[in-house]
Amino acid sequence: MEIIEWLQFLIGAILLLLGLGIFTVEMIGVYRFHYVLNRMHAAAMGDTLGIGFCLVGLIVMNGLNLTSLKLFLVVAFLWFSSPTSSHLIARLEVTTDTEKEKHYREVPLAELEKEMEERKANSSVETKEFLTQKGSAGKEPRENLGQEA
Amino acid sequence: MGEGVPGLASAYTILFTAALIFLAILLVLCLIRAIIGPRVADRLVAVNMMGTIVMVIIAILALMLQEGYLVDICLIYAMISFLAVIVLTKVYMGVYLARKDQTDGKEQENGDN
Repeated sequence: MEIIEWLQFLIGAILLLLGLGIFTVEMIGVYRFHYVLNRMHAAAMGDTLGIGFCLVGLIVMNGLNLTSLKLFLVVAFLWFSSPTSSHLIARLEVTTDTEKEKHYREVPLAELEKEMEERKANSSVETKEFLTQKGSAGKEPRENLGQEA
Repeated sequence: MGEGVPGLASAYTILFTAALIFLAILLVLCLIRAIIGPRVADRLVAVNMMGTIVMVIIAILALMLQEGYLVDICLIYAMISFLAVIVLTKVYMGVYLARKDQTDGKEQENGDN
């Protein structure tokens, strides 16, 4: 019996610590990205995966009873509410942004496909340039992309 | 948690306390993000994250204190923080669009004159 309880504790603790690690990754992402729509990508991770791991760990520690069912309900509710609120925040940002060209650019899908094909046809040097520029995406407009288009 | 087994109760206490302290630090970092975030959407994202972390804290406390009803509070907290985000986005977008309409109308009037 003792071994089972210790096993319960260990599995629960590992899952809980995994959840805390995901929260840490989320926080690093929120501080390192430069623009809201990028940051939201990191922030949405904790809403589903982070709290999911934490609460599954707590369910394992608690055993199966009514409390663990309620804990599962919290996770299930967040699966639905988190994408909805992310969508609303993104729409708010896109609507109220007064200097769009500073942050991102709008491209029709046909043009984008053409551009991708051009990039694929060209040498891999440009891909490298594109990758190195990714870090400063939010701070300045991507000039090389504009010239290609 | 873990009564009857030697050592297990203190192990649970240490794990829960460490997790709570760590989550409190993350909460403060979230608050800093909400204060410095340059745009309104930044602050909303930070508030959303704070809600998630507080939910985990309440769930851990429910197990630590052996009070099952705290999980109900957690569920209600999830619903209310979701509602807060919806209301804030709707209100802010409504205010922005109304102000934009007003300024556009004024510009048109000036153009007519």
